[in-house]
Amino acid sequence: MHEFSIVSSLLEQVLEIAKSNNALKVNEVEIEAGVIRQIVPEIMTTAWESIIVDTIADGSVLKITVVPAIAKCRICENQFEPEIDNYLCQKCLKADVDIISGNDIMLKSIDCQTLNEQEEQDED
Amino acid sequence: MKIKVIKHILAANDEIASLNRKKLADADVLGLNLISSPGSGKTTLLEKTIPALLPERSSVIVGDLQTGRDAERVAKMAVESIQINTGLSCHLYANQIQSALDDIDLAQTDYMFIENVGNMVCPGEFDLGENVKVILYSLPEGDDKVAKYPTIFSVADIILLTKCDLKPVLDFSMQRVKEDLAKLNTRAPLIEFSSKTKEGFDEWLDWLRKEKREHVGRQVGFVKE
Repeated sequence: MHEFSIVSSLLEQVLEIAKSNNALKVNEVEIEAGVIRQIVPEIMTTAWESIIVDTIADGSVLKITVVPAIAKCRICENQFEPEIDNYLCQKCLKADVDIISGNDIMLKSIDCQTLNEQEEQDED
Repeated sequence: MKIKVIKHILAANDEIASLNRKKLADADVLGLNLISSPGSGKTTLLEKTIPALLPERSSVIVGDLQTGRDAERVAKMAVESIQINTGLSCHLYANQIQSALDDIDLAQTDYMFIENVGNMVCPGEFDLGENVKVILYSLPEGDDKVAKYPTIFSVADIILLTKCDLKPVLDFSMQRVKEDLAKLNTRAPLIEFSSKTKEGFDEWLDWLRKEKREHVGRQVGFVKE
């Protein structure tokens, strides 16, 4: 269910950015989700499709890229790519890490149609 | 037009969480986020812990989908006890804690216990501004839960294995839990605990006081890392 909370925050940001760029319509939204966030892309997409109705993002495509995690051992500072169920450092055999990448959900880009673009198209 | 953005999607929640953390720090209060499945004994733990910590005082914020029952249970012993009904939301948000903190006398509070909605997935995703995450895991849930919910156990600062008084009647492999945790989190202490028999209770109280000293001390600059 956390996918719904995430898309709510995402939509707020997308609409704000779209508005400040005088966008008429949002066509595509690109996000990166760290593997540790355990996002299920299908649920996320369904949540997105249900939340964008009656906004300028209605009909937009949500592109999700899942990025791997990088852990840094707090004991020996070894950096490695952990599995979601295994944070064991192979150097010191402790599981005491900071996740330095792959724990975020980031908005990367928004593709939208602006008033100027529409006017140019109309002129064509 | 493609607009490049690099923005944390949960930035709004995280920013409020930081404000909550600062507010607690300014008042020398330790913030604890209690996370577990429903029915693992979070409220019972608080009923036993709050009186035992006196003269240090505690306030409680409880998140549940419905009812004010848990807040009522701890109301008599806490400085303040606030219930948040989350409706269909399966976790608390930082802004809910922010508004609850406005109603809590932090000058009279040493420990701010936040009892999250019973759920082993979503509460781990949303920073509330706490200093530590306390994970409760009760014996009747079975010995496979660390492996099944790795993320929440990997971020735990302490794990309380509750209802340990049921050990004699359950086929629960402590060894399996320890082996699974050895791959996920060797930082958090694992305490075999029972609110009924008080097994592990002194260890839990010692840990709370140690965290209070370390976090509050660190925030006001007494302890150097």
